[in-house]
Amino acid sequence: MERDNHQEGEAQGVKICDSPSESNPPADTLATSLSLLGNHMFPDPVERNDGTTVVKEEPADLHLSDVTAQEQSLDAEHVSNQVKKLETEAAENSECQNNESTETTERGTEDAAIDNDQSDSGEFVVTMLAKAKLEEQGIGVKGRSSPLLEAGTQESPAFMSHRDEDVTADSWRQHRKHVFVLSEAGKPIYSRYGSEEALSSTMGVMMALVSFVQSSDNIIRSVYSEEHTVVFLQKGPLVLVCVSSSRQSEQQLRGELLYVYYQIISMLTQASISRIFEHKKNYDLRRLLAGSEKILDGLLNLVDSDPSFLLAAIHCLPLASSLRDSLSQILQKAITPNLVFSILIAKNQLLTIVQEKTVIEDTRLEPADVHLLLNLIGASSAFQAGEIWTPICLPLFNPDCYFYAYISYLDPPECTVCLLLLSTDKEAFYAVAECKRKIEEAMVAQNSLSLIAKAQSYSVSQVGVSDLRHFMYKPFDVPDNYRQLTQFTSPEMEAPYSSEGEKMRLLDLYRYMHSRIHSTSRPLKLIYHVAERETLLAWVTSKFELYTCFSPLVTKACAITAITKLLRWIKKEEDRLFIRYPPKYSTTPNPSKSSRGGKSDQQDSTDNGFLSLL
Amino acid sequence: MPELSKMKKPDVKVVLLGDMNVGKTSLLHRYTERKFKDTISTVGGAFFLKQWGPYNISIWDTAGREQFHGLGSMYCRGAAAVILTYDVTNWQSLAELEERFLSLTDTANHDCIYAIVGNKADLTDPNAQLSQDSDGVSQDQTECEEERTEPQVLSACPTPPASPASLSGMVLHKQVTHEDAVALYGRILRYKGLEEKSSLPAEKVCFETSAKTGYNVDTLFETLFDLVLPSILRKRNENQESPTVDLEECRGASSKRAKSTCC
Repeated sequence: MERDNHQEGEAQGVKICDSPSESNPPADTLATSLSLLGNHMFPDPVERNDGTTVVKEEPADLHLSDVTAQEQSLDAEHVSNQVKKLETEAAENSECQNNESTETTERGTEDAAIDNDQSDSGEFVVTMLAKAKLEEQGIGVKGRSSPLLEAGTQESPAFMSHRDEDVTADSWRQHRKHVFVLSEAGKPIYSRYGSEEALSSTMGVMMALVSFVQSSDNIIRSVYSEEHTVVFLQKGPLVLVCVSSSRQSEQQLRGELLYVYYQIISMLTQASISRIFEHKKNYDLRRLLAGSEKILDGLLNLVDSDPSFLLAAIHCLPLASSLRDSLSQILQKAITPNLVFSILIAKNQLLTIVQEKTVIEDTRLEPADVHLLLNLIGASSAFQAGEIWTPICLPLFNPDCYFYAYISYLDPPECTVCLLLLSTDKEAFYAVAECKRKIEEAMVAQNSLSLIAKAQSYSVSQVGVSDLRHFMYKPFDVPDNYRQLTQFTSPEMEAPYSSEGEKMRLLDLYRYMHSRIHSTSRPLKLIYHVAERETLLAWVTSKFELYTCFSPLVTKACAITAITKLLRWIKKEEDRLFIRYPPKYSTTPNPSKSSRGGKSDQQDSTDNGFLSLL
Repeated sequence: MPELSKMKKPDVKVVLLGDMNVGKTSLLHRYTERKFKDTISTVGGAFFLKQWGPYNISIWDTAGREQFHGLGSMYCRGAAAVILTYDVTNWQSLAELEERFLSLTDTANHDCIYAIVGNKADLTDPNAQLSQDSDGVSQDQTECEEERTEPQVLSACPTPPASPASLSGMVLHKQVTHEDAVALYGRILRYKGLEEKSSLPAEKVCFETSAKTGYNVDTLFETLFDLVLPSILRKRNENQESPTVDLEECRGASSKRAKSTCC
């Protein structure tokens, strides 16, 4: 049962084809090369998930969870295979990415259908994975030496487009997190590193994997190996794949892929993407996304470095509530028909947000939509003197229609304070620009800009709890009875977390705590975790979610006391740390309702319950 | 200060159109900021107000990406001049003007002026590599001729990378000649149903520029501004009566009611 797919490297070389029928020959090659490699690479046959993992389903012995593929046939030829878990939908196996594959049993064998091709399909899967793997793993080196493989190497970077990275280089494989987006026809749409052209065969393999599993009415969700986790997400006609060595949980990675999907939707809308692919299955979506790669790159960098995405909450800039209120009032007064959101941002953090009340009565802006907006602003700031007017879709609000965003900086040339006005009227630019003039005037009159300039994040030392190094606090519904933008607060990361590397290490610890807390199989409420250089405590209640980081020697009792103090401090500072009562205005005697409501009903839009209200 | 900003009502609208990566944002940036820097792909459209003598000229720098195609006609509505921009090293970028962008100009003023601008001239033309801001229009014809005698360096890639090789003095193959641009201009006039005789002659409105070196950039914008001057004056005279709605709306400004008519 186990084979080693380990040769990812090789795999690369192997040409895999997308269709199962062709898979055979490569599989053979693979097998051969595998066996060559197998022994030395993985001495211990079992249970190390090495890289590849394919998973097939197998009855119980391996850990793998579920899955559809069959493995039997394969064993014969190879040596040890280890790993595998393809998790299909059914199985969620939570925490064990690594070794613990606990639950195997119940997934019985579902191989039924596949018997005769078994062998073929089995090999096919292996091949696929091996191939897929290549990208992930840096390993593989040996594989390369094998003559068998060479023939297949297709990626010659003859024509490098925006990213010139050599996708055959080790450095490329060693990226911590790759993200690929492809269409159902296997056409490359986006790759975080390297050019899509050079990766087209790799993406073809990914798609083949997806369709192979699909052909037995199953869905491929992830592939685990010792060092990498491969997560698949299918959304409509798009397939998103993440190959990560970051040790994040599958859920977290899938959440990140979802952000990528939403960012694409925010540029094109879900409706138009489906329309395009219904029309032409092999459409090259890069035509429409050309130029947007930097927006996606920026998003992925933010996702890696900003815990807002992990917590699905907004981080607003701490501000005296009187100042925040006065800013809100300024926004509230500068309105025009069809204006639905007015958002003020400083240093990439939210200052205040005012929303139209009739249309959006019971809804709130989802944090994810705000994150996408912030990312868009970051990416469009190149030419900061101008006033930007662009269509943008807020996918969680309504994935199928556009808002029109007016973006302008209020403090050129520094460009730290940004005004974002969203209208439902495509033609409203001049009217909306006039709102900005009013806002500008009012802010000059109240000297708001210099007050905003003084605002800054806070230091954990202000909390006055010794041993506390950092924390993230996310209240649910602040204030209690008010449905509100989900927010969190967090101090600056200070020494010892001031270097980039250390920041990332702390974030990784938080991600780990988060994955434990939110584990689907064994969710936890409270975790006290003693790490090498610090001690962390995470706690979730019905009122909040809290992650704290202490110096290493703190005891559990001390930590609990510290948290009590911290909570008291937050309570006291709450007006400054959070946007408490988001103000509203009314711009519409009636008009914009129709534009939004009309479109919305035709869509399936699953999660927007509010649409029905309109 | 607030007073001032209120006074700045645009007198006339100029729109930059063209495929992505031809250098629209860079051209404008060169003109307004006097420098060349890396830009990133424009999102939607960006609006700039340029003070030109006593006049305020609004300039729309639009995104060339197909993604934003739908907005094009909105940006063009009531435009007094449209700058159709292509990349001299990329034939397709000229073809796109006709295929994709020309129809967007249907909403422009009937007397709209069309300029055809070949950017990235520094890549193909040694003259354009010198940083000189004001060259006569006539000069670009001479360049054009020179160009034909130049050794042609074939480049495998149709769209040159954004950071061109001009510093090294390398010369890329010029795919679009001045004559091609002139021919396109003729077709545009025909599309618009305009008589060639009564319209501006091609040599006045076909430019080759380099945003990178600044070559011909000021000439381009200033020639155009001169050309739209009559429409500025007419507009000022007509006051509120003008049929070109958008700018008027903006002028009518502070009353919110007026705006609801703008769609």
